[in-house]
Amino acid sequence: MVLLFPLFLPLAGALLVFLCRNPRVVVRVALTVGTLELAAIGIAVYSIHSWGVLQLGRYLRADGLTSFFLISLGLISALVLVYSSGYLRHVPEGRFSSLRWFYGLVFLFLFTMVAVYLSANLGMMWIFVEATTLASALLVGFYNTEGAVEAGWKYLIVCTVGIAFALFGTIAFYLAAVKGGVSPQSALDWGTLMAAAPGLVGGRELLKLAFVFVAVGYGTKVGFVPMHSWLPDAHAEAPSPISALLSAVLLNCAMYALLRFDAITSRAIGSGFSHTLLLIFGGVSLAVASLLMIVQRDLKRLLAYSSIEHMGIVAIGIGLGGTLGLLGALLHTFNHSIAKTLLFFTAGNVRENFGTLRMERIRGMALSLPWAGGALIVGGLAITGMPPFGLFVSELVILTAAFSTAHYFIAVLMLAAISVVFGALLHHFQHMLMGKSDDVPAQPALQASWLVVMGVCALCLVVLGVHIPAAFNAVLRGAMAVLQP
Amino acid sequence: MGLFETAAAKALASSGVFLFMTVLLIAAAKRISTCIALFSVQSLIITAQIIAVSRMHHSTEGFVIAGLVLSVKVIAIPYVLYRIVEELKAPRDVSSSTSSSQSVFIAAGLILLSFFAVRPYVGVLGGDQAMLAAAVALVLTGGFLMVSRKKALMQVVGLLVLDNGIFLAALTTTFGMPLVIEIGIVFDLLMGVFLMGLFVFRIRDTFDHLDVSKLRRLRG
Repeated sequence: MVLLFPLFLPLAGALLVFLCRNPRVVVRVALTVGTLELAAIGIAVYSIHSWGVLQLGRYLRADGLTSFFLISLGLISALVLVYSSGYLRHVPEGRFSSLRWFYGLVFLFLFTMVAVYLSANLGMMWIFVEATTLASALLVGFYNTEGAVEAGWKYLIVCTVGIAFALFGTIAFYLAAVKGGVSPQSALDWGTLMAAAPGLVGGRELLKLAFVFVAVGYGTKVGFVPMHSWLPDAHAEAPSPISALLSAVLLNCAMYALLRFDAITSRAIGSGFSHTLLLIFGGVSLAVASLLMIVQRDLKRLLAYSSIEHMGIVAIGIGLGGTLGLLGALLHTFNHSIAKTLLFFTAGNVRENFGTLRMERIRGMALSLPWAGGALIVGGLAITGMPPFGLFVSELVILTAAFSTAHYFIAVLMLAAISVVFGALLHHFQHMLMGKSDDVPAQPALQASWLVVMGVCALCLVVLGVHIPAAFNAVLRGAMAVLQP
Repeated sequence: MGLFETAAAKALASSGVFLFMTVLLIAAAKRISTCIALFSVQSLIITAQIIAVSRMHHSTEGFVIAGLVLSVKVIAIPYVLYRIVEELKAPRDVSSSTSSSQSVFIAAGLILLSFFAVRPYVGVLGGDQAMLAAAVALVLTGGFLMVSRKKALMQVVGLLVLDNGIFLAALTTTFGMPLVIEIGIVFDLLMGVFLMGLFVFRIRDTFDHLDVSKLRRLRG
């Protein structure tokens, strides 16, 4: 029962929003459902913490890993809803792009992502990962401009093709499990597969083939280079709250799917193969994205490439494995989500005030927009991994894992890439903050709701950078215990 | 083995050939509507295979899946695509970057390639070599259609052919997945096609053409 609320509340929210006609009521309904959803997730996380694995019927299951990812989903989606209530004031009433459609699709999108986390069955997980694409494609194309339509089309096509490969990988896993003696009816259940994994060693070649397809398929959604082509376009063209949802929740969602498959593969045939593959994908993504960040001109494209870079770091953490690597990777997904949300919100604010996201046209934010400028500085320092922010800790943990397992090449690559990123962001942000702007900003003062949202982000980043709270630590331990039985 | 089972096994063994034919014909086709019809035929062959396989394994779930595939992939999706072609009132050629004969040549090459590609995996995956090769050939040609045809609708057709390939691979290697999962997969596909249709109209309305090769604003 505890699992049904977080799953179906967003769906109910979507229905309610579609029924409402008045824009003001729509916003109020959205905020109410968002609050309820946050509470439902809180209760679910607490129940998982006290009872261990929760199973509901054959298709719903939640364990420590689920609850860890649900926390970041709940937090970010609540922030996004609050931010949107102030951001989307002047939305034109168009077909599929009214306020009603915005919130309706956001709730559908949230529903599909919660369903991915709660799926007990790998096949069902695939269905909902594909559904996340379908639910968010219209949101990416929300503004209906040439760029937005093109980005939405590209997102839909590239991700559907990518996910099709993940389907084949899932089928191959199923085949390996059935050949290894698991009954066909439960051969896609993650719990069953995890328990039966040591007995699947006979299907070594098949499992390797399956994992390659899964890594390419879900990797498309994570944004690994070279399957990342949809990501910068979608992030740059979507409305800023949606960019935050894509970057901070959707990418984690795909990474979560990869983690589940990696756990089974590692347990069945040893971690060598899958972890090497993740290290390669992670390393390439990190290197390519960090270099591309130097030449970006659009603020949101810059942030999108930064997401690719950070997903690369997370993949490296998982690929290094062991307690340290995994701890760093999980912590990094959380920290990255918060920092990236803060930055995309700031980008939305910049767009509202300057009417553009071209970084060379934006000057003098420090003077003319002191609050947004401050948020940009905090976000920029956090995302480049400076102390005292959370990303410093998680990157340090991953680097420690790399050095302690003698992966010197990866460690050096990571240090070099982080330095390049620091230089690139310093260059871009410094240009935007300093100097005097020719245009007078439309709205120098931030709205109260934005101050709250950005304050929460900054507070989380600082807290996680200084000391991990005991409750969060318990959830983190629970997640680690699932992956390393 | 009764007469029906024997016939089913024979049909299954030879249907790979028909699939290769649809692949070559799609590569040769010059009009979008021909490609849609060929996709429908292709899905019909796969439906026949599902029926044959479920008859051999005496499974009732298989018949449900066959019915689902028949209604969605043979009837609903081609119908929706036809309607879109009609509604768009745009030129109906596929506007390929390779000529018709070149495309056939490339498709034939891809078929050969897929026979070589599946050879090491026949032992591991199980299943008939020709069928596995047909599955890989469908995936490859689907990808080829997506990169070489410029019309947005043809990208959808390419994607559907690719998806047929993966479906066929699933059918030949594992005999079907649990029913609920299959239903979900087909439902996703249907929704996906609706959404892509919606985007096709949006591309036409915002750009006044359907040539995706001209969508280049967002490179780099």
